[in-house]
Amino acid sequence: MQTVKMVISGAVNSGKTEFIRTISEIEVVSTERRATDDTRMVKKETTVAMDFGRISIGKDLVLHLFGTPGQKRFDFMWEILSEGMLGLIILVDSTRPETFRETNRIVDFFTSYRDTPYVIAANKQDRPNAWSPDELRLALRQKPDVKVIPCVATDRETVKNVLLELLYIILERSSEG
Amino acid sequence: MPLVGNIRDFGLSDFLYLVDRGYKTGALHLNHEHETAVLYFDKGKLIYGSRTQGERVGELLMRLGKITSQQVEQATQAWKPNGEETTLAQVLVREAILSQEDLQRTLQAHVEEQVYTLFAWAEGEFRFEHGQKPETDAPIMPMPVPVEHLIMEGVRRIDEWGRIKDRIPSTDMIPRFVDQPGERAKGVKLSPEEWRIFARINGKDSLATIARTTSLSEFDVCRVVYGFLTAGLVEVVRKPKAQTPRDGGPSRLKRSLVSRIINRVRSM
Repeated sequence: MQTVKMVISGAVNSGKTEFIRTISEIEVVSTERRATDDTRMVKKETTVAMDFGRISIGKDLVLHLFGTPGQKRFDFMWEILSEGMLGLIILVDSTRPETFRETNRIVDFFTSYRDTPYVIAANKQDRPNAWSPDELRLALRQKPDVKVIPCVATDRETVKNVLLELLYIILERSSEG
Repeated sequence: MPLVGNIRDFGLSDFLYLVDRGYKTGALHLNHEHETAVLYFDKGKLIYGSRTQGERVGELLMRLGKITSQQVEQATQAWKPNGEETTLAQVLVREAILSQEDLQRTLQAHVEEQVYTLFAWAEGEFRFEHGQKPETDAPIMPMPVPVEHLIMEGVRRIDEWGRIKDRIPSTDMIPRFVDQPGERAKGVKLSPEEWRIFARINGKDSLATIARTTSLSEFDVCRVVYGFLTAGLVEVVRKPKAQTPRDGGPSRLKRSLVSRIINRVRSM
């Protein structure tokens, strides 16, 4: 059985858990605990370890989805999670500009040392005060070739679309055979 | 839908960058404690900004000693708001009350000083209203001003490590020019100290190295490079790290396997 891994990252309350829950074919293994630090201001419960989801591709291949912890004190886990990943999805809460700097830091962490295929999912696009994907690209200072894709993490079709956009990038870079 | 936030989290220089690169037209409203300000943009360039509500071009130019009340009256009578000139400022030029250069110089100096003071606001709510335009008798500059040099000058007034470290977390980082700074660089005026740093950006030397070679402090180098960065002239990157097996770059799968995953996700 071959397994491949995708990492879903983003700032606290960007929608990582919901994103994985929406697409995973198994109940998401999430180690949710009551938040004990400043994230409590944002969210009653937040991810303190990681979320894990799975999509089986066939009898011989499975795709694992790993959500990273949002809080800074778990940064050390990002390095471990990113080992051998196929690609990266960065979720950003389109309604909270106060998280854009943190999102930048996360993008920088995952992409500065590795040529990692990644897309940015502009989550919560169903909210009235959401910044558009184009505005987010500028706010996050991403290059024009980086895909910023509208998303609602609870909506399966938009989540599928984000995954597919990332897979198309991976396909372009994949080897023949 | 307006863009809303707080400049504590998304700074004025960040917003000016967004307006510039997004060719935005509209009004940026700022509130700080009991003060307010509004900046108007046309296709990414500043056309007017003020901390005074309802400011009119005639009154402002009179206050600055550039024209008399009779000349304001003359321009107002000659002004046909629905005619060829859409703003009172344009009528002042057409009636030869002021030359366009003089009007531009006067209004630009006034507006820029207003804008620079806003960089000192460490926090405050902002709201950007797409498409909103100033009143036609507002002190609208005849020639819109590119925001890059506003950012540079505004950033010169920032002296807090905290803000700089958001973008430049370490002096080991390496500044390098963005792919095509060409046109943007033309609008920026650099001080001799800034030129010394600008000339040493080569995509190889770290900020710490530049500080050593210029005999400037690391803080000064970071502050200046922060300005270049915010104005979109340079980017800062981490020093390349030698790849080790543990680093494990992204896995490369065979095309057929990726296609299978794509087909599976499509079918979900």
